[in-house]
Amino acid sequence: MNQSAKSEILTTDGIPLKISLKRAERLNKIRAFALVLPLALFIIITFAFPILSMLLRSVDDKQINTVFPKTFEVYKQWDRKDLPPEELYASMFHEILSAEKLQIGKASTRMNYSKSGWKSLLKKSKRKFKKIKEGPYKEQMIKADKRWGQIEFWKALGEMVDPITFGYYLNAVDLKYDSDKNVIQQPENRRVYNSTWIKTLKVSVLVTLFTLLLGYPVAYLLATLPLKLSNLLMIFVLLPFWTSLLVRTVSWIVILMQKGIFNSILVWGGVIADENRMQLIYNQTGTLIAMTQILLPFMVLPLYSVMKTIPPTYMRAALNLGAKPMHAFYRVYFPQSVPGISAGGLLVFVLAIGYFITPALVGGKDGQLIGHWIAYHLKTSLNWGLCSALGGILLVVMLVLYWVYNKVVGIENIKLG
Amino acid sequence: MFKLIKSAFLGALGLAFAATAYADFTFVSWGGAYTMSQQKGYIDTWDDRKNGISVENYNGGLGEVRAQVESGNVIWDVVDILPSDAIAGCDEGLFEELDWSTFPEAPGGVSYVDSIPENGTGSSGPISACAAPQIWWTYVVFFDPSAFPGKKPKRIKDFYDTKKFPGKRGIHTWASANLEMALVADGVKANKVYDVLETPEGIDRAFAKLDTIKDDVVFWSAGAQPLELVKSGEVVMSIAYNGRVGAAKLSEGANFDYIWEGQVLEGDWVAIVKGSPNKDEAIEFLKHATTCEAQAEQAKYITYGPLRTCGLDIIKKNEPWFHTGVNVLEHMPNTKKKVKRSVFANPAFWADNGTEIGERFSAWMGK
Repeated sequence: MNQSAKSEILTTDGIPLKISLKRAERLNKIRAFALVLPLALFIIITFAFPILSMLLRSVDDKQINTVFPKTFEVYKQWDRKDLPPEELYASMFHEILSAEKLQIGKASTRMNYSKSGWKSLLKKSKRKFKKIKEGPYKEQMIKADKRWGQIEFWKALGEMVDPITFGYYLNAVDLKYDSDKNVIQQPENRRVYNSTWIKTLKVSVLVTLFTLLLGYPVAYLLATLPLKLSNLLMIFVLLPFWTSLLVRTVSWIVILMQKGIFNSILVWGGVIADENRMQLIYNQTGTLIAMTQILLPFMVLPLYSVMKTIPPTYMRAALNLGAKPMHAFYRVYFPQSVPGISAGGLLVFVLAIGYFITPALVGGKDGQLIGHWIAYHLKTSLNWGLCSALGGILLVVMLVLYWVYNKVVGIENIKLG
Repeated sequence: MFKLIKSAFLGALGLAFAATAYADFTFVSWGGAYTMSQQKGYIDTWDDRKNGISVENYNGGLGEVRAQVESGNVIWDVVDILPSDAIAGCDEGLFEELDWSTFPEAPGGVSYVDSIPENGTGSSGPISACAAPQIWWTYVVFFDPSAFPGKKPKRIKDFYDTKKFPGKRGIHTWASANLEMALVADGVKANKVYDVLETPEGIDRAFAKLDTIKDDVVFWSAGAQPLELVKSGEVVMSIAYNGRVGAAKLSEGANFDYIWEGQVLEGDWVAIVKGSPNKDEAIEFLKHATTCEAQAEQAKYITYGPLRTCGLDIIKKNEPWFHTGVNVLEHMPNTKKKVKRSVFANPAFWADNGTEIGERFSAWMGK
């Protein structure tokens, strides 16, 4: 023990080297941390918090419990077979009258999600109930608006009893709660989300595949052609990339319309008859074509930067050793370009799955993706709960795919250059 | 903790929505020729302004407004909104309530409230306690007469009759107005449309009518699209916003005809965002922008009709009113004759049923 203490190396200040080094390192660590801190804070404030808040919003159902607390207490005792007892009517009556106008407005928005009509019912009732002086209330309420006598409206309250709900998530996959909180399917003509989810995944996968098929040869040319030619080619790749997204989308409309350039050329060339012009836009085909073109650079660029690092000598060596060109390409070149395929594929897929503007303009009858519904509920219906649930599912889908991807391809295989 | 996260998130959202710099006074509208007409009709004629006015565009809906109000980070002062948003926003406390008694009377001592005609709510006066009147606009069917060498379509039912008038039809990707026009074409009286729609059978009936043209429909989502569709011959008829058609006819000389039957008449309103830092000035602005004169002035630049009747009276007396020196009244949706054949859009109905019918409409589109 003594021996080791003595053999300790001291700095010129007489402090043991170990401690001195630690001190210097600590300072470095603090400095490094301080450098990262702004970015870390930025990410926490603009990324982690919003996502957390979004996820909380997707299960939060306190909005109406706080407006009608007593009513919901009484509600729990109701058997939900016949119209509710007078007691429930009475407490609803008093709480509508005593609640502030704004609270009624907010509560009615929420209640309208579970049954269309609550919005106007509450608003009208708030006005009309002032004339009702004393109980019993049941009949007077039904007289004020006959919907108070319809059991469906009362039953619809059942799914809002708890302050936390999974109703929005159910809604996002075409399910819902019935009045006893059993999970049931949405009525058939309201089932739109599942088909949109499937369509979104399908379009994203196809766009990724198409961009790969189209982008791979281009990237190969870019990486192998002499500099002068490849620079020119690069400009062709980048030029549309720099053009506004909207302009490119609208150009596709002009090209693909039935009376548009593409169809007209085919008719002129006698390939199709004038009355058989193809419907290539305002449907899913249009979405696919436009998105493939718009996302192409996101595939070409990572591919190119990876291919650029593959020494051409490898291929020459393989050919020299007697491999046929296809074989040499498949065994030597292709494996080395896989990191670029992974990077491009992931990039294109992630962008495609949340695409909004292009499908909105060219999607027409069946080319809308899930982004359409997220925007709809954010801006038009103001159903931010459902909006958050859709976003939450999108996030989970992405994470699951990323996990699968990591298992299959391996995330360390991604390279951007 | 939840509160903190919530306010942090809403703050970030508010910031994101209002990425532009602070201006003294911000007026938010839909952009394009419409906002230009507001600029010329209301802003350029407003002499009492204290500060600069910055005009911003948005895409409708209350998403941005709600994010600003809930985060307490209000950047917009005055927003141009649809009736349904005027009502929902007022109910949810997103807009300031206004005192109509301080707003300008119409000539002849007609009070401000009485000078606003019936607008889908069943009574005259402002649509909600927060919204001051702007314009009338409609969804209307129009076509290029040269697409029909023989008989031209005249009635709304011709739009849904692909046997008599073959060819594709352009309709928008959302449900409102589509159902109403289909019902009028199916023989429902314009003023009875919502009585029919209130019943499940009525909604089925509207969808059944839409089914008859389903295979010949091209869906559009942005207001400029239908004009392009008709001009290029992609469709032979389309539903569109009447102001867009009017602009193409009056300013660009396009050869279009309207079908003035069953058009869905809707108002447009302006409201002050709750917590606006320039509330007093905003109120003064609304007073100015809704004077009879300013209302008429705006109609010089677009074929949307002034919502206040007194604005329309000024135009009647002074035709030709349009800034190019042509008559504008025949293109306005709220002349007496056209109003009789219009469906008044009912915002309360769509507030109740918008999401449910919207989902059904989307499912129908994709089928």
